[in-house]
Amino acid sequence: MAYSDKVVDHYNNPRNVGTLDKSSTEVGTGLVGAPECGDVMRLQIRVNPETQVIEEAKFKTFGCGSAIASSSLATEWIKGRTVEDALAIKNTDIVKELSLPPVKIHCSVLAEDAIRAAIGDWKKKNGAAEAAAAAASAQ
Amino acid sequence: MLKDADSAVPVACWSCSVQHDEVTMFCPHCGKIQPPPGGDYFSVFGMEPRLNLDLAALEGEFHRLSRRLHPDRFARATECEREWSLADTALLNDAYRTLKDGLRRTEYVLTLHGAGNGTHIGSGFETQIAEEQNGKERQNASRAPADLLEEVFDLNMQLEEMRLRRQSGNVDRQSGKVNRELIEDLRAAKRKFETLREEVDRDLRGAWNDWDGGAADTRRRAQTNLRTLLDRRRYLSNLVRDVSEALGE
Ligand code: FES
Ligand SMILES: [Zn+2]
Repeated sequence: MAYSDKVVDHYNNPRNVGTLDKSSTEVGTGLVGAPECGDVMRLQIRVNPETQVIEEAKFKTFGCGSAIASSSLATEWIKGRTVEDALAIKNTDIVKELSLPPVKIHCSVLAEDAIRAAIGDWKKKNGAAEAAAAAASAQ
Repeated sequence: MLKDADSAVPVACWSCSVQHDEVTMFCPHCGKIQPPPGGDYFSVFGMEPRLNLDLAALEGEFHRLSRRLHPDRFARATECEREWSLADTALLNDAYRTLKDGLRRTEYVLTLHGAGNGTHIGSGFETQIAEEQNGKERQNASRAPADLLEEVFDLNMQLEEMRLRRQSGNVDRQSGKVNRELIEDLRAAKRKFETLREEVDRDLRGAWNDWDGGAADTRRRAQTNLRTLLDRRRYLSNLVRDVSEALGE
């Protein structure tokens, strides 16, 4: 099966590969696996606490070319968006942009899941931080 | 002996016309070979489907049938009989190879009960196993259990570091030390995955007992359980294989 040009491009020049400081409260980390093939993907975001804008996004994927391309594209798309806007990205958008064939749809699902997991983690951290602050001020 | 008693349609022997059970390879009356039997692999050996299988009995029956199917015995037989004996031999070998191995036997029982992994519909059971063991094919690799994600990710990082180091090939004293640490980490990871695999094997044996002894819904639950355990086991085996490869062991 031949990969589309866009997949090849992202595969050869993946954008935003790397790691952010997991322990920072501004950082959310999503670690997900594809049940179909056992591949794993980690996607991290750094969110501006004032504006809720995702200022930085990094990924590291151990998987097929489509998974690498999907996560690379995902980081490009979410950078500069607010957290809520980023949640609107659907795996079908990725499928369309990269012209993924049906057998590779799960690779794009992995990327969507990773975005959600990263945002979920960030929300949990910050929800917890807010709750702790509220509890502290209530005393 | 068929898995469903009511599907056992008696047929008449082509040679002596005495009626006999469809799944026997040889007529119980005159001993002549019969057209290849229907039924499952267990019935080839006249056994009930069980996961805790009597392996000595299986082997004994396999040798007995192999001898009876030996080509020398059909040298002077009719064309039909010779063909049947070849087909029976192939069936016997597939059945024996599948049933004597605990994992393949489990996979087979799940396939019989519609709880196979469903990705190879239409291909024979033996081909399916062969494809799965050819596990390098990404689509055939197995599920990532959620509780292992973290470990799997870290392992992949270490494997990548190892590969990069090998590529750059500069092993001065400093990086030699780092390398040794990396190898230690990988060895530890391998031991860990092997231990997890042993746990899976223990759980599998427990689920075998449930399936063999259970009423209909215990059995169904055991099947779900077995499916999960087999997936997890295959996944762990792939990890052990990858680490071993990287370590050159
Ligand atoms: S084949 Fe598994 S993520 Fe692409
Ligand atoms: Zn007969």
